[in-house]
Amino acid sequence: MRSFWLIAKHEYLKIVKQKSFLVGTLWVPAMIIIVMGVSILVSLGQRGKLPLGYVDESGLLSEAVTLPPGADGEERLAMRAFPDALDARAALENGAIQAYYVIPANYVQSGRAQLFYLNQRPSEVAQRDFAAFLRANLLAGYPADVQQRMLEGSSVTFRASDGSKELESGDMLGFVVPFAAAFFFVFAVMNSGSYMLQAITDEKENRTIEVLATSVRPEELIGGKALGLMSVSLTQLGIWMATGVLALLVASFFTPDVQGVRIPWTLLGVVALFFLPAFALIAGMMTAVGGMVSDLRQGQQIAGILNLFFMLPFFLLMLIMAQPNSPLVVALTLFPTTAFVTITMRWAMTTVPLWQLAVSWLLLVASAGWCVWLAARIFRIGMLHYGQTLRVKTVFVRLRGEVLQKLHLPYKEEHNA
Amino acid sequence: MTTVKVSHVSKFFGEVKAVQDVSFEVYPGEVFGLLGPNGAGKTTTIRMMLDIFRPDRGEISIFDGKLTEAKKNRIGYMPEERGLYKDLKLEPTLLFLATLKGIDETTARARLEPWLERFDLVDFRQQKVQNLSKGMQQKAQLIATLLHEPDLLVVDEPFAGLDPVNTRLVKDIIEELRQQGKTIIMSAHQMHQVEALCNRILLIDHGRNVLYGEVSKIKRDFAGNALAIAGQGDFAALFDRARLPDTLPGVLEARQHNSAWHLTLGMGVDPQAVLWALMQQEGVRLERFEIAEPSLEDIFVTVVQRRAGHAEEAGHA
Repeated sequence: MRSFWLIAKHEYLKIVKQKSFLVGTLWVPAMIIIVMGVSILVSLGQRGKLPLGYVDESGLLSEAVTLPPGADGEERLAMRAFPDALDARAALENGAIQAYYVIPANYVQSGRAQLFYLNQRPSEVAQRDFAAFLRANLLAGYPADVQQRMLEGSSVTFRASDGSKELESGDMLGFVVPFAAAFFFVFAVMNSGSYMLQAITDEKENRTIEVLATSVRPEELIGGKALGLMSVSLTQLGIWMATGVLALLVASFFTPDVQGVRIPWTLLGVVALFFLPAFALIAGMMTAVGGMVSDLRQGQQIAGILNLFFMLPFFLLMLIMAQPNSPLVVALTLFPTTAFVTITMRWAMTTVPLWQLAVSWLLLVASAGWCVWLAARIFRIGMLHYGQTLRVKTVFVRLRGEVLQKLHLPYKEEHNA
Repeated sequence: MTTVKVSHVSKFFGEVKAVQDVSFEVYPGEVFGLLGPNGAGKTTTIRMMLDIFRPDRGEISIFDGKLTEAKKNRIGYMPEERGLYKDLKLEPTLLFLATLKGIDETTARARLEPWLERFDLVDFRQQKVQNLSKGMQQKAQLIATLLHEPDLLVVDEPFAGLDPVNTRLVKDIIEELRQQGKTIIMSAHQMHQVEALCNRILLIDHGRNVLYGEVSKIKRDFAGNALAIAGQGDFAALFDRARLPDTLPGVLEARQHNSAWHLTLGMGVDPQAVLWALMQQEGVRLERFEIAEPSLEDIFVTVVQRRAGHAEEAGHA
């Protein structure tokens, strides 16, 4: 067991100390920081300090009411009336206002107004403020609660027919997180699978495997490597998630909309439950491939095909979105390689029945365990086939022999010699 | 008590009979030579001993029993195909491999220092393995084999890639280990490099036992099968391999060493008959003719030729 941990630690440190890992890991936080920085800068200067002007030719704003503070509690932009376009234009050129609207006499019929500005168009927020100001004044004659309702706009709640699934239209995380989890899983799987394949073929190519084979059991070697590489992936995902959470926290200071975001804990729990066995499954597959092939390039070609089995739900995205409970999607939920991605993607669209989650998880764990067992044996059979690709028939014959010998059943050796 | 006992093991790779019915025993505190030409089956035999390959037939016992994980820590193995992590630094690589053999990192670090000094690798400890010369990598591999102070050392072609100075150094280390009571199994195809070190040997050819026993006894048994000759005349033409059976019947092979020629005789060939045949040769003046102690290489050639002769006879029959 000691060797298992030593190999895991060795494999982990070997990769995280590589420059390519640091670059590959830090680009996501770097992008988040850059995007956040830009967003904050934009947010700070969104409304602008200067008021907006307007020339009311329609008479709708003759007794204009002042707009109350927005839902975010922020003060709205000040609106300043001008008797005619010439005055407004002069104020614009003097820098007293950032832009002005002309509300034509037929505004009620046309619904069109003209916006005048010099070099810089007013921000979206400033324009929204004016639209809200206009709406508030158009509704001036209505009761206060109607005004309030109209100004807030619509809020739709999507609810599953059995009432178990609810998604608010503003709850973007409830929709985004499942897809993000699926995306990150596939990314992590492909990344780790590639590392695993490389770790196995490297040791075959540089002949270290012969020394390791006389020091540790194949199961310890493979298990240690898998744990080390999984830790690498978890470190990477951890850094990305921590940066994401930090970004949300910081963003909540500048964008109060973020404060209402709900973390989908149940989904995260399911993700955590499925991630480890799914990872073990891919690690086992890649080990088996690494054990059979003669070099990395050959292994990568096979790994590319195996990765498709994990990515299949992405190709059926439209079906999953349109018919998340169709028999094919349920089959994908239960099939070990597609289970994780299908479940996370269905999570956004429907309620995945508990029995499907349980059966899927059991099948995944069983197949992962079997795959790791098989991989360790294939690895043992193929580890010293330098420069030779192991034939499937050879693997089958040897495995059969091993099993029969273990069971003390008669095993007839067959040699062509 | 035996350190290693190999009983009638065979290994097949498809149609290739890599090892057939090989048996030998290695006792504590001896240097045992597993000798034979390239492709003879030495490495496959070693891999079976170390449980890297499972034998198709036969039994192997290590330290009086099945090879367990605990016993693996008592073995140091230097494979023929040297294996170190090319993209890692030398010191961490050696420490990692040592800790896999059951010792803690502090102990490994303390033991590493004198070995690095002895092999003149101190200045290269933080270099990546791929930046080291082939000879340095070979020395590093030997350190990896010795660092956990194994009771049984299995070294496959230990002198491959070493210059004469380092070959001498490795021989000295093997001698020291023997004096410390360690058991050493050494495989080599260049027999002259190991014959002085070995107590006992197994000569293996085409996967089969050819000769097995104490080096001194084997040499005694084959004394008279080697001659040392010096003189004047065109010996190179005389000993030309193609003409040898006609010019000097019974001489299997001739090799020039310094100023003398070493002849290997077939079994039962009378040295006096060879002397007579030489004296019949035109333009040859003998200045030296002596019955020499045969080298293991001489013995190997004799035995292999004899076996080939027997096989041919059996074929004709």
